[in-house]
Amino acid sequence: MQQKIWNKIKEEFKIWRVGAFPGLLIIAFVVAARLTGSLQFLELITFDALMRLRPTEPVDEKIVIVGINEEDIQILKEYPIADKNIALLINKLQKHNPKVIGLDIIRDKPVNPGNQQLEKLFKQNNNIVGIEKVLPPYQISASPKLPPERIGFADVISDIDGKSRRILLGTKTSQGYKFSFPLRLAEAYLAPDAILENGKRDSKTMRFKSTEIPRFTSNAGGYVKEDDSGLKTLLNFRSGNQRFKKLSFQDIINDKFHPNLIKNNIVIIGITAESVPDFVNTSAVGETHRGRIYGAEFHAHAASQILNAVLNNRALLQTLSDEWEYIWIICWGIIAISLGRKFDFSLFKSILAVFAAGSILIATGYTFLVLGWWLPVAPVLLILLINVELSAFSFYKHEQAIKESLKIKIAVQERTINIRENTIRDAFSEIHNGPLQILAALMRDANHQNLSQKDLNVNLQQLNTDIRDVLEYLQLEAINNQESLRLGTGKKIDLKRPLHELFYEVYSNTVERNFTYFKTLKVKARDFETIDEKYLNIEQKRELCQFLEEALCNVGKHAKYVKRLSAIGKFNEGYYTLSIKDNGTGITCADENQGTKSAIELSEKLLDGKFSRKSISPQGTLCELTWCLSQNLCTTNKFADGVKVLFKHN
Amino acid sequence: MVQSIQENATVKILVVDDHSLLLSGTLNVLRDCYPQAKIATAKNATEAEEQIIDLQPDAVVVDLSIPQNIGEKSEIETGIALLKSIMQDNPDMNIVVQSSHIKTLVRIQHEIDNHKGGFTIADKMLAEKEMLTRVQYALDGVTHTKDLPKKLEIKPIWLDVLSLAFEEGLKDKEIAKRMNIAERTLRHYWTKIQDVLEIYPEADKKKDVRNLRILTQIRARKKGLMD
Repeated sequence: MQQKIWNKIKEEFKIWRVGAFPGLLIIAFVVAARLTGSLQFLELITFDALMRLRPTEPVDEKIVIVGINEEDIQILKEYPIADKNIALLINKLQKHNPKVIGLDIIRDKPVNPGNQQLEKLFKQNNNIVGIEKVLPPYQISASPKLPPERIGFADVISDIDGKSRRILLGTKTSQGYKFSFPLRLAEAYLAPDAILENGKRDSKTMRFKSTEIPRFTSNAGGYVKEDDSGLKTLLNFRSGNQRFKKLSFQDIINDKFHPNLIKNNIVIIGITAESVPDFVNTSAVGETHRGRIYGAEFHAHAASQILNAVLNNRALLQTLSDEWEYIWIICWGIIAISLGRKFDFSLFKSILAVFAAGSILIATGYTFLVLGWWLPVAPVLLILLINVELSAFSFYKHEQAIKESLKIKIAVQERTINIRENTIRDAFSEIHNGPLQILAALMRDANHQNLSQKDLNVNLQQLNTDIRDVLEYLQLEAINNQESLRLGTGKKIDLKRPLHELFYEVYSNTVERNFTYFKTLKVKARDFETIDEKYLNIEQKRELCQFLEEALCNVGKHAKYVKRLSAIGKFNEGYYTLSIKDNGTGITCADENQGTKSAIELSEKLLDGKFSRKSISPQGTLCELTWCLSQNLCTTNKFADGVKVLFKHN
Repeated sequence: MVQSIQENATVKILVVDDHSLLLSGTLNVLRDCYPQAKIATAKNATEAEEQIIDLQPDAVVVDLSIPQNIGEKSEIETGIALLKSIMQDNPDMNIVVQSSHIKTLVRIQHEIDNHKGGFTIADKMLAEKEMLTRVQYALDGVTHTKDLPKKLEIKPIWLDVLSLAFEEGLKDKEIAKRMNIAERTLRHYWTKIQDVLEIYPEADKKKDVRNLRILTQIRARKKGLMD
């Protein structure tokens, strides 16, 4: 039983070794593509799509956005909004005791009237956080009346496709280390229960109590070699539409809001008017309007992610380390190949398998994303789509090939058996029709005593030849096909015999063939010197015999009026030369027929020798094949040849 | 030469055959013909090789289907191998192949062509008298292989002999000189040429009225070996 399973595994392994190859190639290809960053775009799109699919989260009551909208600007009839109106707004809000007010409006210069009033507010209220801009190409400072700890930068970083998926928490600048606006808001909100500290597990990141914010590294998730300067983290957008309460300038001024919205919460004052471009591009949240949200909202998302992580353990987005990401991808790749193997017999089922596996993959990716883990989905999906079908095809083809070769093997076996059966049958009928008949006749005549001595002799002689013929026939049939050569006359010769013997046999057999120009042939000369068998293998012998046969046949076919034909094999100083000479006309030296080509191939590839074919005077053709029997024997001559060639070139 | 062997010395003949019946048959025939001869026997190849060294026979009569050692299977290959080894070690040995498998000898055509001693073939079916003639041919250094199925195939060098003798009309001494070979070798060539042309001496030399050399010329021209 165990043996059976083991055999099955071994057999399966054999099939995999060839069948799985294309699939493994695709895995390698996808991994390489991912490593070079070619798949980043796809992965980010998939990330956005999965982010949008997440279940809607409740509105975050801790953050309120006061957006100065188009209508407000119309009513105030001014832009930029004067300091007076901003001061009015802040004063109105402060009455309801917000924890912190974030002013997401640039106030590096006074916008009168009312600047003094606003600056006074900045000085008197320590719960107001202002913005600056720190990243190149240009810097904008905050109001000089705000102390540094109440300033956060409002810079937004975007990916190569212009969309923002990460937030910058802090960065070094020429004026020292700076924190971002949402971080300042969160810090102010969480104080004094939780204060901002360095990470414990990762000392380079930030921490509130036990909550460490995962630091973005250059190859995190689908990113490849992305800029990881400063301290960044992936933004886990709050899922759903309008996840923050939004009030307008007019709402506040006219007291059109519930005071609880403000009390102890973060209020972000920003511009939410179409005519004032303060947008951040994103496809990761459902509320997007033409793929973008207002800057104030973006900061709200960022601050909200930190607050809720610290207070409610809401997930922050994390990624696997590179190694685990690739292990994950390769495992799925192998699953894909296995599916291809499993469903290699049905296109429909294999497509179904792709769908099923794809669904499981997406579901897994989705679930993990909801839990805060970003797994590579796009590369795996790509592998699944290609690999299942490709592997199915490859396994199918490979199995077909195995079946085919098995079929051929069986056919060959059957043929061999058939040949053997035929041989036995033929031998039987030969014996039956020949010797047995003669014997019967002899016995009959002997019985009647009318058998003369002469008749007896003749009959016995006939019997002898007949039985010998059968023996000879059986002997030839017994020669292994791989080690024999069938000559044009149908005679089989045993290639294990010495080469010069084979040459004699080829010669005798071939010159007896019924070729037109052999009819005029008078002198059949041949002399083949012996060759030490150790210099030749069966294949070389086969080729050499075929060469001789071919050369002789050419004489029979083309050498008009040929009278003399000589074939000589000569051994000289390590070289063996086989020359076939005739005195006919008509054999054409320039004629590069198949025979000549294969002769050249034979001499060059198999024997590392030389072939030549030339006309001789007064008439006739000489074909010569010369090869070196052993490098040891020929080195000196080769060297001499080399020298000759050298001189020729000079 | 025949007389000289018969008269002056005891002829030594080795018969190699593993069939006791055939062996004794051959022995009887030979003893009748050569009453003075010393006739030894060997039943396998190893024994035959030993006997050749010990006895230094004038002629060996070999069957092809023999075992290598006592008790082993008789095989034609063994006989062929024995023949090859005899011809290699004793290039002047007179050999008679007495066998039912003479066709197999085409395989060692090269060795037969180059063998300097007598070489004759006697099918086991041959009548006694004819068989004895072949033995005598061998003892005389004649080559007789016309029973082999080959048609007028020759060694190129024999053509040179024919050409020098019959086109230039040279004597043997001069031919040997021109070809840079011993006269003995040339004689050996002549017997080979005559074998190809199927010209053999009469069994009883005294009765032979033909001039074999002239006959050779006529036959060679007829067969087209010369223009």
